[in-house]
Amino acid sequence: MKKNLILAVSAIFVIQACKKEVPPSTSNTDVQAKVLGDLSTEIYLNSYATLETRTSKLLSDVQLFIANPDDTKLDVCKQDWKSSREVWENSEAWLFGPVSTESIDPRIDTWPVDFVRLDSILNSSNTLTASYINNLEESLKGFHPIEYMLFGLDGKKKASQFTDRQKEYLLALCQNLNTLTTELHTSWNTSGGDYTNEVTNAGKTVAYPTKLSAYEEIVNSMIGICDEVANGKIGEVFTNLDSMGEESPFAKNSMVDFTNNIKGVKNVYLGTFDNKDVYGLEDFVRSHNLSLDGRIKQKADLALAALAQVTDPFGKAIFTQPIQVQAAIDAINSLKDELETGLLPLVQLQVK
Amino acid sequence: MRNRFKLIISFALLVSVFAVSCRKYDENANDPQAEWFSGGNQTFFDGTVTGFDHAFNGMTEAQISAHEVGDKAFDATFVTAPAPLNSGLGPLYNNVSCVSCHVNDGRGKPPLAGEAMKSMLLRVSIPGSNPHGGPNPIPGFGGQLQPRSIVGKLPEAEVQMSYTYINGNFPDGTPYQLRKPNFTLKSLEVSIPGDIMISPRVAPPVFGLGLLEAIPESAIMSREDINDADGDGISGKANRVWEVITESYKLGRFGWKAGQPSLIQQSAGAYNEDMGVTNFIFPIENSFGQTQYDGLNDDVELSDSLLKAVAFYMQTLGVPARRLVNDPMVTEGKRVFNLVGCGSCHVSTYTTALNMAFPPVSNQKIFPYTDLLLHDMGAELADFRPEFLADGYEWRTPALWGIGLTKKINGHEYFLHDGRARNLVEAILWHGGEAEASRQKFTQLNTSERQALLKFLESL
Repeated sequence: MKKNLILAVSAIFVIQACKKEVPPSTSNTDVQAKVLGDLSTEIYLNSYATLETRTSKLLSDVQLFIANPDDTKLDVCKQDWKSSREVWENSEAWLFGPVSTESIDPRIDTWPVDFVRLDSILNSSNTLTASYINNLEESLKGFHPIEYMLFGLDGKKKASQFTDRQKEYLLALCQNLNTLTTELHTSWNTSGGDYTNEVTNAGKTVAYPTKLSAYEEIVNSMIGICDEVANGKIGEVFTNLDSMGEESPFAKNSMVDFTNNIKGVKNVYLGTFDNKDVYGLEDFVRSHNLSLDGRIKQKADLALAALAQVTDPFGKAIFTQPIQVQAAIDAINSLKDELETGLLPLVQLQVK
Repeated sequence: MRNRFKLIISFALLVSVFAVSCRKYDENANDPQAEWFSGGNQTFFDGTVTGFDHAFNGMTEAQISAHEVGDKAFDATFVTAPAPLNSGLGPLYNNVSCVSCHVNDGRGKPPLAGEAMKSMLLRVSIPGSNPHGGPNPIPGFGGQLQPRSIVGKLPEAEVQMSYTYINGNFPDGTPYQLRKPNFTLKSLEVSIPGDIMISPRVAPPVFGLGLLEAIPESAIMSREDINDADGDGISGKANRVWEVITESYKLGRFGWKAGQPSLIQQSAGAYNEDMGVTNFIFPIENSFGQTQYDGLNDDVELSDSLLKAVAFYMQTLGVPARRLVNDPMVTEGKRVFNLVGCGSCHVSTYTTALNMAFPPVSNQKIFPYTDLLLHDMGAELADFRPEFLADGYEWRTPALWGIGLTKKINGHEYFLHDGRARNLVEAILWHGGEAEASRQKFTQLNTSERQALLKFLESL
C-alpha cells in the first residue's frame, strides 16, 4: 500500500516535471507572445528541420541501396519514406507561409501520379538531372512517385524487381524532395526567409500586422486540415466509394497519414513536438476557458481513437469498415467544430 | 355599412402593406460601417491565407455540397490519359489544375528568372476575327500558346520573358523604376506567321465573381460612355461577346478584356485551353486540326456536373472584409483615391440584382472597385490584340477588393495583366490613356498623400 502511494506520488512528480507550467505572474499578453514564439520556433521551424533531416536520410539510404541493392536496405528506405511522411503530414496542420505561397506543397505532395508519363520517363533515355526533375509536372515528383518506386503497385516490391532506370529515377526524385524540403526549412530559418520571425513578432511584421492575424492563421489552418482530412481525404473517397482517390495507397500508409495530420493539430494545440513541451495554444486557452480546453483535448483524442479503429488499409476499409470510417469522419468534424466555434471566437475576442 | 367599413379597413391595410413593401433601403444614407463589408452579406473577416476561400453564407445544404465538390475539382491535378483519376490532360496545356495558377484562389505571377511560365499564359491571334467577332486564331497554334505537352507531343513553343527597365522620378525627386516585359517565342513546333498579336495574361483571383455576375446589366450599361459625352476624359465601353451555349452576344464581364460572358464559359474555356480538358461547352481539343492533335476518341474529358460544380464554386466564393476602414490614414487615402480620379473607373460600389432563385447574391451592396467596363489604358499597356469590341488599347477595369491581401495570400505583389508591376505604386504609374490624367495627379501628390493612398489600397 505504502509502495503504491510512493509510486503514485512520484508519478505525479514525474508528470509535473515533464510539463511546463505557466507561472502565475505571467500576463495574458505575455502568454500570447510566448505561444507565438514557441510555436514558430519549436514546432513549425523544428518540424521543417526534422523533415529536411529525414529526407536527407532517405536520400543517403537510397544511395546505399542503389550501390548494393538488397531487401534489407530497401526496407530501410521504405521506413525512411514513412518517417519523412510522418513529419510532413504533421506539418500539414500549418499549411501557411512559404509552403503555400511558394507552392512547395504541390511540388512535394501531389496526387494522383501521372503513370503514363512516369512510364515514358522510365522508358526514355533522358538524363535525369536536378533541373530535369525540377521542371517535371507536380504529378511526377515528390512523395507519391517515390512511394510508387519504393513500394510498387502492390506494396511488396523487392530489391530484385528494380530496373537500373527505376533506381536512377528514384535517386533523382529523392534528391529533388530533399532540395524542396531544404528550401522549405530555409524559408523559415533565420539565415533564409525567416518566416519564423514573421510569426514570432506578429504585430510588428509585414505578414502579420496584428497578433490576432497570426493567431487566426494558426487556428484557421488547424480547422483547414481537419476539414481536409474528414471531408476531403477520407470523406470524398468514402462517399464515392472510389479507392482511386486514396493517397499513399502503395505504402498502405493512408490511415497513418490521416492520424499524423490530426497529431499535427494536437501538437500545435499542446505545444508538443519531438518529446519537447513548449507553449502551445492550450496555454492561452487555459487562462480563459478551462472547459473549452478540456473539450478540445478530448475531441482531439477521440478523433485519434476513431482513426485507430479503422484497421484495414484505407482503400479497403471504405468497403469493409464503413461504420468505423464514418465514425472517424464524425469525430474529426467534431474536433473541427470545436476549433471553429470555440477556439476561433475565443482568439478573436482575446487577442488584439 | 359594416361591410363597407370592413372594405375600407382592408383597403387601407392593403395600401399600407404596399407602401411598406415598396420602401427601399436608402443606399445613399451615410453608413461608413458598410464599407467593411466588401462583399455585402458574403463578406468574410479572414485576413489569413484562406481569406479568398470562403463559401457563401446562406446556402442550402445541397448548394454547400455542390460548392465543396467544385472546390475539390478546382484542386484536382489532371494526368495523361488513360488514367483512372483525373484523366485527359493535354495533349497541349499550360498547367495541370485550376489551383496551380489560381493559387489559394488568388493571383498568378510572371515567372522569376530561370523559371518556366506557370501561372500566366499568352493569348495569340492574327489580324481579322473569327466568325463571331472574336480573335482570329493562328493556323497551327489556335488562340492560346501551350508551352507544355504530354509525352510524345511537342509544346507549341517555349516562351522566354525578359524586361526592359525604365527609370523615372516623381516631381518631388523620389526615383522609381518600371520594367516592361518582352516575349520571345523559341522552339516553335511549326512556323508561325510574322504578324501575330500576343496578349500576356496572369491568372486573376477567382473570389467574389458570383457577386460581379449578379450586378444588373443595366447598372453596368448606365456607366457606359463610349464617346465621352460627359467630357470627363473617361469613356467606358461594355464588351459584347459570344456566348456559346445560347449562341448569342452577351455582356462580357470576366477576363482581362471582358472576353467572357459567364463563369461557366470562363471555366469551360480554361479547362479546354489551359489544361487540354474537353467539356460540353468546348468539346474539341485545343490542338484539333494541328499536327499535335491526339486523335483519341475520349472527349469530353470532364463531366458536365463537374464543370458546373467548378463554375458554382467560383460563383459562391465570398470576399474578404476590409481592414482598418476607420484608420485616419486610410480615410485620408480614400479621399486621395477619389481626388486623383481612381474612382471614375474603379467604381467603389454596386448593388446586385434581386434574385429570388439564389438569395445569397440578392440585393447586396458590394464594394468591388470596378465598373466592369473597358477603358483605353494607353500605348504602354496595350497588347494591340482586339477581343470582340475591346480594341488593342483597352482593358477591363479589374476589381480591387482583396488586393491588399495579395502579398499575404499569394506571396507576391505582381500586378497588371502581365504582372509587370512589382507593387501597387508601379501598377499606378503604368496607367495611361484615359487614366493618364489620374496618373499625372498621382505623381503630383506629396509623400504623405501617396502613402495614405497606398494604405487605403492595402485596406481593400
